[in-house]
Amino acid sequence: MELNVYTPKLAKIVQAKDEVVGTRAIKTFRTEFANGARFDYRCGQCAMLSVFGKGEAMISISSSPLIRDYLQFSILRTGRVTAALHDMEVGDLIGVRGPYGNGFPIDEWRGKNLVFIGGGIGLAPLWSVVQTALLRKSEFGTLSLIYGARTSRDLVFKDELADLKSQMPVHLSIDVAEPDWKEFVGFVPTNVLEKKPSPANTIAITCGPPIMIKFVIKNLKDLKFEDDQIYTTVENKMKCGIGKCGRCNIGFHYVCKDGPVYSWAELKKLPQEY
Amino acid sequence: MEKTLAKKSFSQWVKKLSSWSVYIPRKDEEGRWNYAEADSGGVSLDVLQTTLPPKKILFPQREVFLEFAKTLAGNRETLEIKEVLPEVKPTVIIGARPCEARAAWMLDEVFGGDFKDAYYWRRRDQTALVGFACTIPPSENCFCTSVEGSPHSEEGLDILLTDLGDRYYVQSMTAKGEKLISAAKELFEEPKPEARKQVKAAHAESEKKIQRQLKDARPIAEKLKGMFDSPLWDEESMSCLRCGICTYLCPSCHCFDISDEVDNPSPLRGQRVRTWDTCQFPDFTMHSSGHNPRPDKASRLRQRLLHKFQYFIQVYDKFMCVGCGRCITLCPVGIDIIKVLDKVRDHGA
Ligand code: SF4
Ligand code: FES
Repeated sequence: MELNVYTPKLAKIVQAKDEVVGTRAIKTFRTEFANGARFDYRCGQCAMLSVFGKGEAMISISSSPLIRDYLQFSILRTGRVTAALHDMEVGDLIGVRGPYGNGFPIDEWRGKNLVFIGGGIGLAPLWSVVQTALLRKSEFGTLSLIYGARTSRDLVFKDELADLKSQMPVHLSIDVAEPDWKEFVGFVPTNVLEKKPSPANTIAITCGPPIMIKFVIKNLKDLKFEDDQIYTTVENKMKCGIGKCGRCNIGFHYVCKDGPVYSWAELKKLPQEY
Repeated sequence: MEKTLAKKSFSQWVKKLSSWSVYIPRKDEEGRWNYAEADSGGVSLDVLQTTLPPKKILFPQREVFLEFAKTLAGNRETLEIKEVLPEVKPTVIIGARPCEARAAWMLDEVFGGDFKDAYYWRRRDQTALVGFACTIPPSENCFCTSVEGSPHSEEGLDILLTDLGDRYYVQSMTAKGEKLISAAKELFEEPKPEARKQVKAAHAESEKKIQRQLKDARPIAEKLKGMFDSPLWDEESMSCLRCGICTYLCPSCHCFDISDEVDNPSPLRGQRVRTWDTCQFPDFTMHSSGHNPRPDKASRLRQRLLHKFQYFIQVYDKFMCVGCGRCITLCPVGIDIIKVLDKVRDHGA
């Protein structure tokens, strides 16, 4: 039979974990393919997840491609499909098609220091690179993470972050003070200025809400990062994932296919349509 | 391959194509012309423009991608998905306008590439297009000659027929075209030398009859690159009703939605469908957070024009507009793509 790009593969949820509860709920799922299907992908690529009867949603893959046993997705409950995903439990079947998008050019970053800068759910797409960089540690210089959320309850991967601290500097922040909080209080872009990562031989990778990204980039520029030392991801509404349905474009780029990863040098040339 | 076919033999030829699905312009109950499967009744071979272009035959307004169903056996639930690829018999579209065939040639780019669209190609591979040169323009808003087409363009066509009075001049460009001719070989004749001359003259004449013109389309495409933030889009889109007619009825527009339809909620049974969609609807690009990168009519008119006159050229080196003029003729508030692009060209001049 000819290859049909729109047909998802069935995958079983093998782990479901509440990261954040409440109005901005985030849940992390791990899935395994029902019939051992292969799924090769790169860091920063996405997959189109199906809840049959509800529809599809494009979600970034947060596990490392070097881990072959499962795919991991962290999902913010926002729309109909993501709400339906949140209602799913271990053992339930979803559809997965992809992978889609360009992914991070991590092979080009060999020999460089990597500073990851994330906000909220934006840690999910970064997580795939963080895990991969740790597994290939000898290929890179120093690694560090600057990550924040509105409140301490909105931070994702709380347990994993505690472990990560033994492997790289991790600078956390929350927007407003809380009694037991010992780390930085303020917005992520401000924490970037505080921690002053050096641009020397360094790549900064930032994912998060558009407004945060905007100011992170501004502040990285103030710290003398060049446009091609800054990478980010763009999110737009998607349906096909393969550059055909016509809705995710910024200028002549289809984010689903030509993105979602852009260096600031590339992105600043495109119109502000995201 | 070049032949001639006597007009009186035309219907015999169509009859010989009985193993094919034959689409031809037909008048519906409401008096509108549209491509429909031919029955034994007559058809018009006048030069006319159907309301919907034949794109609906290659890319239907709604099509099922897959079916899903849950079944309960004991207390074990199983989910089954079944891919529904179209089964298409050989199809021929007779009476396609050359611009409509050029649009198919653009859709081929979109639905081809790295990710082949199996649904589209199942139909496309089986479909031949037999077009008629427009010896008179079927619409007062035709402007194909301004966008690198012509009333006798061959791009995307398998056969081009040109009216020479009592006969058609028949040019077959592809193997599919040759197959259609060999289905009724005896009806076709070798063209006489004067027929060749006549057809050249008819083609040259047809170009002169086009009434509307968009001057300097390529330079406009270049200029558009600097006009993303122009106030022009606001001015020109003011009266838009966001009905989407300009895009739904466009032969080259291809935007679509994918959604799930549920026939039975429990046990779950339904289908995933693809339906036409349009960049002119506000929720087309709206994120689930409510943020919308194209929040107003200005940004959506800009998207329609830039997709056709800048982005598509940047990727495929073709306009994504074939100049059929439907969006001009049918827009309820008279937004005229030629006039808007005229303003772009003359902007700041
Ligand atoms: S047809 Fe006219 S009114 Fe309708 S969406 Fe297009 S431009 Fe707007
Ligand atoms: S999601 Fe369809 S074109 Fe990008």
